Formats: sequence, C-alpha cells, structure tokens
Amino acid sequence: MTVLHTGAPPSRLVTAHKPANLSRTGGRSGIGRWTMLSLRRRYREEILAYSFLWPALLILVALLIYPLVDVIRLSFHDSNLQRETWVGFGNYAALLQDPLFWRSFGQTVIFTVFSVVLHLAIGLALALLLNMQINDTFRTLARGLLIVPWLLAPTVAGMIWVLMLAPFGVFNGLLVSVGVIDANASVSWLGDPSTALGSVTAMNVWRAFPFFMVMLLAGLQAVPKQLYEAAEIDGASLPRQFWHITLPQLRGVITTIVLLDSIWSFRAFDPVFVMTGGGPAHASEVLASAIYFDGFQKLRFGYASAEAVVMFVVLFTVSAIYVRRTMSNVS
Amino acid sequence: MRTRTATLPQTISPYHLGQRNRERLLNALAYGLLVLAIIVIFFPLAWMVTVSVRPNIEVMKMPPDWIPQVFTLQGYEKIFSNKKFLVVFLNTMMVSLMVTGLSLVLGAMAAYALARFKFIGQRAVLMFLITTQMFPLVLLCIPYFRIFITLGLYDTRTSLVIVYLTFTLPFCILMLRSYFLNIPRDIEEAAMVDGCSRLGAIFRTLIPMSYPAFIGAGLYTFLLAWNEFLFAVVLIESWENRVLTMAIYSLMAEFVTEWNTMMAFSVLASLPLVIAFIFLQRFMVQGMTAGALTS
Repeated sequence: MTVLHTGAPPSRLVTAHKPANLSRTGGRSGIGRWTMLSLRRRYREEILAYSFLWPALLILVALLIYPLVDVIRLSFHDSNLQRETWVGFGNYAALLQDPLFWRSFGQTVIFTVFSVVLHLAIGLALALLLNMQINDTFRTLARGLLIVPWLLAPTVAGMIWVLMLAPFGVFNGLLVSVGVIDANASVSWLGDPSTALGSVTAMNVWRAFPFFMVMLLAGLQAVPKQLYEAAEIDGASLPRQFWHITLPQLRGVITTIVLLDSIWSFRAFDPVFVMTGGGPAHASEVLASAIYFDGFQKLRFGYASAEAVVMFVVLFTVSAIYVRRTMSNVS
Repeated sequence: MRTRTATLPQTISPYHLGQRNRERLLNALAYGLLVLAIIVIFFPLAWMVTVSVRPNIEVMKMPPDWIPQVFTLQGYEKIFSNKKFLVVFLNTMMVSLMVTGLSLVLGAMAAYALARFKFIGQRAVLMFLITTQMFPLVLLCIPYFRIFITLGLYDTRTSLVIVYLTFTLPFCILMLRSYFLNIPRDIEEAAMVDGCSRLGAIFRTLIPMSYPAFIGAGLYTFLLAWNEFLFAVVLIESWENRVLTMAIYSLMAEFVTEWNTMMAFSVLASLPLVIAFIFLQRFMVQGMTAGALTS
C-alpha cells in the first residue's frame, strides 16, 4: 500500500466515495474508468508531488539546463552573435595553446587556495575564541559585528579596498606612519603586477571569512561537552584536546565548507572585476573575468564559451564530491 | 589523585586555584583577542564611514588624517539631490523583493513536495537542486545575454528577477524542506481530520509553524539579490534599469576622484542589510548555516 505513508486516510476516503472523481475519468476512451482510477490511486503521490514541484523545476531547468546545453553547443562555433560558424574543437585547441588562458587558470587556483586556507584559519581561530566561556551578550555582539563584512556586496567591499589600497590610501599611510616607506614612495598595490592578485585575495579573505566563522562556531557548539570533561580527567592539555577532540569532531563541517568555498572562490568574478579588471597586464586575471572579457568585450563568444565549459568541468568535479557527501546525509 | 574540580567548588586546593587562574587568564586572553579582531576587521568599515563625511580634498592627504578634520555631508547631499540614485535604490529594492517573494512561494511549494511525498525521481530532484547551487554563474551569462535579446527582455528589470531565481530558488527549496521535515506530519493530518483540506491544513499549521525558516531563507535570498553584480553587468544597459552594485561600479568611472560620494553611496547601499541583520540576526545566522548543511 503505497498510499499509506502520505498519511492521509481522510482524503483517501473522500476520493474513493466522491462520484465527481469517477465521472471525470470515466468518459476517456481505451482505459476503463476503473483502471484509470486505480492508476490515479497508485500514482497519487507522484501526481500530487509534481503538481507542487513543477513551477520550480520548470524554471530551474529552463534557466540552468538549457543555457548549459547552449553554451556547450556554442563552444564548437566561432560566434560574434551575428553569425555562427562550426569550428569543431577549434576553440578548445586554441584555448589549450593560449598562455593567457593558462595564466588566468593558474591565478584562479592561487586565488582559490589562498582564500580557502585563510578563510579556514581565521574562521577557526575566531570560532574557537567565540566558543570560550565568555559573557553571552558579548558573544552575540562580537559575532554580530564580525559577520558584517559578509553582508556587504562584493562590489562595495571591493570599492572600500580600492580606496584603502590606493597610493594615497590608508595602507600606505600606515606604512609611512610606522616608517617602513617614505611618503613619496607609496605603493600602488593594485597597479603593481606583483601585488595586484594578493590585494584582491586579501579583500576576498576579509569579506568572506565570517561564513567559516559562523559555520565552525555552530560545529563547535555541537561537540558534546563530556568529551572535554573526560579529556580533562585524563589530564589532556588544551592543544591535545584541540587536536584529538575538536578537530576530529569538526571534520565533517570543515570538509563541507572547504568544498563549498573552493567552488565559490573558483568562480569568483566581482572582486577581480571591480578592483583591477584583471589587470595590470592580466596580473590578476581569473577565469571568470577572462570569460567575461573574451565574450563581452572582444566579442569572441565561441571562445569564451569554450573557457566556460572548461571551468564547468573543473567545478562539476568538485561539486560531484560535495553532492555525494550531502546526499549520503540526506537519505 | 585527580578529581574533577568542577564538582568541588568549595575546595581550596592549590591545584584548584591554579586551574581557576589559568581559566581566568585564558578568558581574559579571549576577550582581548576578540576585541583586537573586531578592531582590525571593522577598520575598513569605519574608514568607509569616515571618508563618506569628509571633504574630498582631505581623502587624498598623505599621510592621512585618521580622524576627519572637517565634517561635511557633501557626499550624501550629492546622492540625495541626484534623482539617478533614487531610481537605482528603488530598482534594487523592487528586484530584490520580487525575487524574495517568488523564491519563497515557489520554494515552499517544491519544498513541501520534497518533504511530504515519496515519489519517483525524488533523489534525482534533490541531487539536481544541490548541484545547481554549485553552478558557475559566469557560464550562464553568454546564453542569458542571447536569450534575453531574442525575447526582447534585454535591459529590463524583469530579466534580473528571472535570472536571480537560478541561485535563490534552490537555496530556498533546500532550506524550507529541511525545516518542513522537522515538523511532524501528524499536525497536518489532525487538521485534515478536523475538516481542513490539504491546502487548508498547510496554511493553518505548516506555514505558521515554519516562520523562522521563511524569515531566514527570505533574508538570505534578499541579501543575495541585493548584492548580485555579474548578471546586472551583463543584462542591464541603461541607467533607469540599473541596480546598486552596478551603479557603484559605474560611479568609479564617472566620479573617479569623488571618494566621499562613493563611500556615502556604499554606506547607503549597505545600510538596509545591516539594519535588517541587527533585528533579525538569529534568523540570518540560521539561514547562513542551513545553506551549507543540507540534512
């Protein structure tokens, strides 16, 4: 009896006795009214579920699956939107030989690794501090204040950092005040190829660490207190407690958020686009900004699509790991 | 012989005192480090606010004055006197509210189906929803651009409302689903025994009971829509349809040296979210946590 776990005995009774339902299916040709009724009954769950699901599913398929297919198709064409010519794997071949593509790929990896590692380090440190025996009001207040960078739009955060990193900005001002550099020799952090990518990464670290902090704090609060009490009885020092209790207990949360953040950082567009536009001389170009510039400025839509497909393949691999982990939790 | 000190609060042994002092020291350290962290992390925000109330010449000074010497609201005046900015605020508010409303309604329907029924393809639907959250959005830009030009929706706010659903809808569905799963279905069944229709039961029991999830998901959706930038760059051309993030970016080109105006604008753009957060912190944190831990 598949109907049972809808757990709706009253409505089942109603359906069985309602003449209206019989007459609605009755007149159809081919399948007799009773067959139709039992079919309806057997697939009742499915029909009901999909009648709730279809608007969302339709929108998501139209907005995600169709564009994905379209971008794959386009990656085999040479296109400037006016006309399209089939070039087979031409775009991919050109891509693999393009030093700029490899450069932006490498810089995306650097940006991602540094972002994720620093997010984790800062997030964990602050989560541990917030989890200590401190005043509850102070904890809530501190957590609230520390989340604020995460509320800002990446564009706003980027703008603040552009101002701070400018030759006349506070970073240089600070360095001048402590006497590290001369007032006339201030650094253009975003204009110098050797510091541009690092500056953009720093902004991204500042803006997004609260996500890690909040998630890890939630994880820490779920660790059973008895574990620490037991460790204390055994005379385990704080570092040992951290290493043998806290970290193993947080492993699940850490893996999840590291996977998520890797995906988010790998596809990041706003910080680079707002702060440097990929410059100077591509020194801070990442994949997402390269795709944008190739497509919408150089109007090489086929080539940009090929880049996007490569990016998709990389992200899909990471997503697959994440989805497998999450799905095993779900069911 | 070691005993758990916590169970012997009255005992004054040297060991006990040592433990106490060590704990006190650690706590003092925690307070100190947290205050330090707050100062460092808040510095860029404080800088944004002080620059927004300075005259522009003062911004360029080297070394900088840490405290504004002259207080002025020039930057804010410029924004409030220019109609362009009001339009941008209204656009952003409208788009974000529409996206939030649509995501919650469609999301709640889908979440209900996923939480309450067993059906063919359920696992596939869930897997699809989790995957969509990981989608590289820049991949979608080129097709969206082409599609919306064909449909005549390019450079409209409608196009933004539609495309923002790609990342807000899956989140809303997953978050509401996990909340619905925790509400026993007996309550709905009881309502149906008492003569409610299925929809009546949903509206009378399930939805009122899961209001924290709705606030959390709604706030997070609003935040995502308010802060989105990439699609706004690709799909919007004219000023009258522009949203905040895009406007801030074009300000940089337009008023290249007017940092006080730009920072005033940044403050105003962040204010609604910060205020919402102050009042609804609890739900917001819930939403944030639920986004990643789908169980």
